[in-house]
Amino acid sequence: MTQPLLSISNIDKHFGTLKAVDNVSLDIRENEFFALLGASGSGKTTLLRMLAGFEVPTGGAIYLDGKDVSAIPPNRRPVNLMFQSYALFPHMTVAQNIAYGLEMERLPRREIAARVEEMLGVIQLSQLAGRKPDQLSGGQRQRVALARALVKRPRLLLLDEPLGALDKKLRGEMQLELKRIQHEFGITFVVVTHDQEEALVMADRIAILRDGRLLQCGSPREIYETPQSRFAADFIGVMNFLPARVGGGVLLAQTGVPIAADLPEGLAEGAEAVAAVRPERLHLGQSGADNSLTGTIGAMAYHGLDLQLHLTTPLSPQPVMVRLTADAAEGRPLSIGDEVTVGWSARDTRVFPA
Amino acid sequence: MTDRKPLYLMSPALAWLTGFMVIPCLLVLALAFFRRGIYGGIEYTFTLENIALVFDPLYARIFLKSAGIAGLAAVLAVILGYAAAYAIAAMPRRRQPMLLFFAVLPFWSNYLVRTYAWIVLLNREGLIAAVAHGLGYDGELPKLLYTESAVVVGLVYNYLPFVILACYAPLSRLNPEMSEASRDLGASGWTTFRRVVLPVTVPGIATGFVFVFVLSIGNFVTPALLGGGQFQMIGNLVYAQFLTANDWPFGAALSMVLIAIMMGLLTLQTFATERASGARRQET
Repeated sequence: MTQPLLSISNIDKHFGTLKAVDNVSLDIRENEFFALLGASGSGKTTLLRMLAGFEVPTGGAIYLDGKDVSAIPPNRRPVNLMFQSYALFPHMTVAQNIAYGLEMERLPRREIAARVEEMLGVIQLSQLAGRKPDQLSGGQRQRVALARALVKRPRLLLLDEPLGALDKKLRGEMQLELKRIQHEFGITFVVVTHDQEEALVMADRIAILRDGRLLQCGSPREIYETPQSRFAADFIGVMNFLPARVGGGVLLAQTGVPIAADLPEGLAEGAEAVAAVRPERLHLGQSGADNSLTGTIGAMAYHGLDLQLHLTTPLSPQPVMVRLTADAAEGRPLSIGDEVTVGWSARDTRVFPA
Repeated sequence: MTDRKPLYLMSPALAWLTGFMVIPCLLVLALAFFRRGIYGGIEYTFTLENIALVFDPLYARIFLKSAGIAGLAAVLAVILGYAAAYAIAAMPRRRQPMLLFFAVLPFWSNYLVRTYAWIVLLNREGLIAAVAHGLGYDGELPKLLYTESAVVVGLVYNYLPFVILACYAPLSRLNPEMSEASRDLGASGWTTFRRVVLPVTVPGIATGFVFVFVLSIGNFVTPALLGGGQFQMIGNLVYAQFLTANDWPFGAALSMVLIAIMMGLLTLQTFATERASGARRQET
């Protein structure tokens, strides 16, 4: 195995009694698009600031290319950060903003001009090189901030909520744009985000943080399909949780019917638990299914590609969400108030302690 | 139709200023174009002699000297005030109002009292001399009071709060991520200050500088008390024309030139602030 580009080893950051980051270890590989995902207060931004050099870890170390960089100040690290507020210099033009980092490297003037020009092309703002930041739209500012960090060709580019300030449509476009740019430059990206959808779409791997601790790290598919905790299951995508209890070595729903599923280790007889299943894993009818439930349709929403049902069922205090593909829904007309039975397999059921 | 409400709200203040300031000022300034009567009165014959006399080397030198002292005071006040404002803005947010309050506190006491306090400090038997002797210094102390330096010190001291407030405004609005971005892009702390913080806060510096300069160049209390009549500043000259020499036309001419200089500076400062206002919109 080659050594990872970035190795975070048992890192801690305490602010007084608050453990903002608590014993996190992560390896990030060269050329990876990595997402740090968590709610506010999860420690993701503090972790990012330690990678940039704005915070010194209380414990543990950060290795970049095998060298401990934990105590190296931000201006001496081959790492650049794109700030959430963009933090563009208001008194400089777009071109001057982008050139700033290269001037700090004392590169020849010609090279600076050439690289700024190239970067302006990449972000498609060559026409606006002479504008000041306050004469740009939000999306344009975002691209200037990206260009300013990227032009330095860092070993590692950190992005703090890069799409947070953009409207929804622009955000969708920029997700793909960021991926394209990352691929084109071959630079490792570490993105901090609270938006699980953004993380799923963009990242090669995702680390979920909660209360300063690392909950789970893996590919979007692993995180989505095999969440390791109830929190992760709930945080990523939509999940149905059916309250249950362990009885006689099997899982029993709150109505007493057994739910076929692999029980995780450590769940004792009588323990409270939840069975979790994704809405798209439920299908109409119970043929070939290990589990089934019957409920009344309380609400229906048509989304083009799929049809979402909310089923009221004695198995769960909350309505159970079902996501049917347009094809599956076509065969049978459904309306609110209908009673339907849906089935799912044991394989698609995850069990967590309650 | 445009909304006229702002006009109604503004009119009492405008009327007050016009009636009790602009018109009397214009009346006094108009005197500059008349001759001085033999016994100190005014002879209403048009002349440009008074204006010409202002540019006589004797008086022009006083103008230059006043500008020099006001300029020095303004530069010193800006350096001290900017540093203090920078330090206050760098403190935790909730402590800043208290620090600002302390910085401005002397300003709430009487100008004369504050200036007399400097006499107590600087005179031959004053506090500074006492401390120097107490520390074992037996030699002759340089003259502190009634010097040009004493006037500069007094002006800087009196107007420092203005500069602190003027510089604090843009410094406190500065997005801290902007300095971090500069560091992140490879700049040292000093380069970050020189290339990012300083240019963005120039409007505050310009305001502070012009304020101190304008207030100092026309000041006559501080030069009279701390300068001890050893030399005259333009303010003292104007004072003397009106109250002792009884030459109102020449006093008016001096005032007119002084006002022209102030107006010019204030206009320049407004332009500088306007130009940088684009920058301010994006700071937060």
